[in-house]
Amino acid sequence: MSVSQTTGDLGPVETAPGRGAFPVRAGRVLLTFGRRSPLSAFWGCIALLILAMAVAAPAIAPYEPLKSDFRRMQKPPNERNWFGTDQIGRDTLSRVIYGSRSSLTVAIAAVLLGTTSGAVWGLMSGYLGGRFDLVSQRILEFLQSFPDLILAMAIAMALGAGTGTVIVAIAITRIPFGGRVIRSVVLSLREMQYVEAARGLGASSKRMMFRHILPQCVAPYLILATTHLGVAIIIEASLGFLGVGIPAPTPTWGNMLADSLNAGLIPPWWLVLFPGAAITVTVLAFNLLGDGIRDALDPRLRGAV
Amino acid sequence: MFNYILRRLGFGLVTVFGVSVVVFVVMRILPGDPLIAIFGPEGFTKLSEAERAGYMKDLGLSDPMLVQYFHWMRDIVTGSFGHSFFRSESVAEMIARRGPLTAEIGIIAVALSWIVGIPVAIISALRPNSMSDTFARIISILFLAVPGFWVGMLIVLGLLFWFGYRAPLASASLWADPATNLQIVIGPAIVLGLGQAAYIARMARSSLLEVIREDYVRTARAKGVSGRLVIAFHALPNAILPVITLSGILLGFVLAGSIPVERAFGTPGLGYAMFTAVSERDVFVMQNLVFLYAVVFVLLNIMVDVIIAWLDPRIRYS
Repeated sequence: MSVSQTTGDLGPVETAPGRGAFPVRAGRVLLTFGRRSPLSAFWGCIALLILAMAVAAPAIAPYEPLKSDFRRMQKPPNERNWFGTDQIGRDTLSRVIYGSRSSLTVAIAAVLLGTTSGAVWGLMSGYLGGRFDLVSQRILEFLQSFPDLILAMAIAMALGAGTGTVIVAIAITRIPFGGRVIRSVVLSLREMQYVEAARGLGASSKRMMFRHILPQCVAPYLILATTHLGVAIIIEASLGFLGVGIPAPTPTWGNMLADSLNAGLIPPWWLVLFPGAAITVTVLAFNLLGDGIRDALDPRLRGAV
Repeated sequence: MFNYILRRLGFGLVTVFGVSVVVFVVMRILPGDPLIAIFGPEGFTKLSEAERAGYMKDLGLSDPMLVQYFHWMRDIVTGSFGHSFFRSESVAEMIARRGPLTAEIGIIAVALSWIVGIPVAIISALRPNSMSDTFARIISILFLAVPGFWVGMLIVLGLLFWFGYRAPLASASLWADPATNLQIVIGPAIVLGLGQAAYIARMARSSLLEVIREDYVRTARAKGVSGRLVIAFHALPNAILPVITLSGILLGFVLAGSIPVERAFGTPGLGYAMFTAVSERDVFVMQNLVFLYAVVFVLLNIMVDVIIAWLDPRIRYS
């Protein structure tokens, strides 16, 4: 068999299923995902819907979230205000819809910042080893000695209220988790034969890290990031509830729950029920999507991440 | 064993030192003027330059950072922990008065999480993918997503709405007035305990399913030991180790989670004090409470490690 024949054999592979334009390929991957774990695919769609709701909030919300209508204060759900109004006549439905904006902005930014820098740190400390690894491990251990909400509270309080500080506060609590998980993945990868082979061929440190180790860390990173989204949303809501989140007029789900406690001796049920339900559904969607991605990408990580 | 405990305590000491540095950096060195916190932004602008310097000196905030750190450490060693900006009570008194309530909540929550989580895991693991297993898993997934403080608010609201009942707001100690004390503690403990039970059930289920596949379990079955006895006396003791480790980590969740949950219930515990300190921007109280929580968390994790080493000689001797 000559070389030209071999390349000829490879020809049809180019058009075989699995190849083709990117959208087609992506569509196929999604279809397989949907077939293999329909529950996760369903909740993935819910997560997308919530994301769309956040982006299109001004178009969807029936009223301005900050406009108070003093003729309709603290009204229970009715045909004009589906989720009722709060003590100064703001529409709860509009505020819940707008709340998804701050919640998702903070969660996504915190995960992109925190989990990612943690992952890069873990990659470096796992690969370089030695003294750098030792020092990194200690620092991550110190950070992990705080229950995450408490650390986030302290940082948010020290930096003063604002969206940016909340993002930084939550991001810092995510660093040790990213660092730990990715480091352990890298440590096991380092012992793999293909890595040894690459080293034997004389690959440089940088090339090894980015060409051979990094691609294998993508799956655990994605799984970690989706799980952390849920955690970040809960921390953001807790910070808002405790009064160190995004400052007051901005509607966030945590702020709304904190506000409801000021609405009289017995807080009106609609002010408590709807924002909390929004948190629960959103976190549930991201958690189940994360479980599905984990099962699809790497079933071995079940329980590890 | 003794050596192992000593070694763990030594590492713990290093961690506590690191933790104190982190707390100090976060609370003192990050930007943000404590005088703004005390007087408010408006009051702050009304103070003259000399007055500001005077207050800073009185509070010991104009010393070099290293000196401030040593003063703080001295306060901790002598057990005074400094004073609140706004209250006459010292932080040490506050901890002594409010701490027991939060500790009770934590202990009951952990006990509850085991009492609920382990049986659920056994039922799930006995027949994986059966109806009861699926049901248990759906419930635990739901519990992982629900914020505890919201559940707390709903419980408080429901009890008020339908029964006109509200847990007593004044503090009461377990020894002097057990009935009142229990009413205060039980709500937060149930909320936090059930939240943890979901994690425990999930972990125990997967750990049990792994152990059940081992040879010695099959041997026990082949000898004719009944299914339940195999689980109780052969599989469970080995499967429980990762659950104990997880429980140590979850204690951190209880400590942190009790802050918003105590606020939701209006419980007069340490978590509520933390909420007050944060909303008043009371830097000294916050600094000491954050440090206390972190030290307790570190100690609890050392305790868990020691328990694990005691149960599993492989760890003790490695």
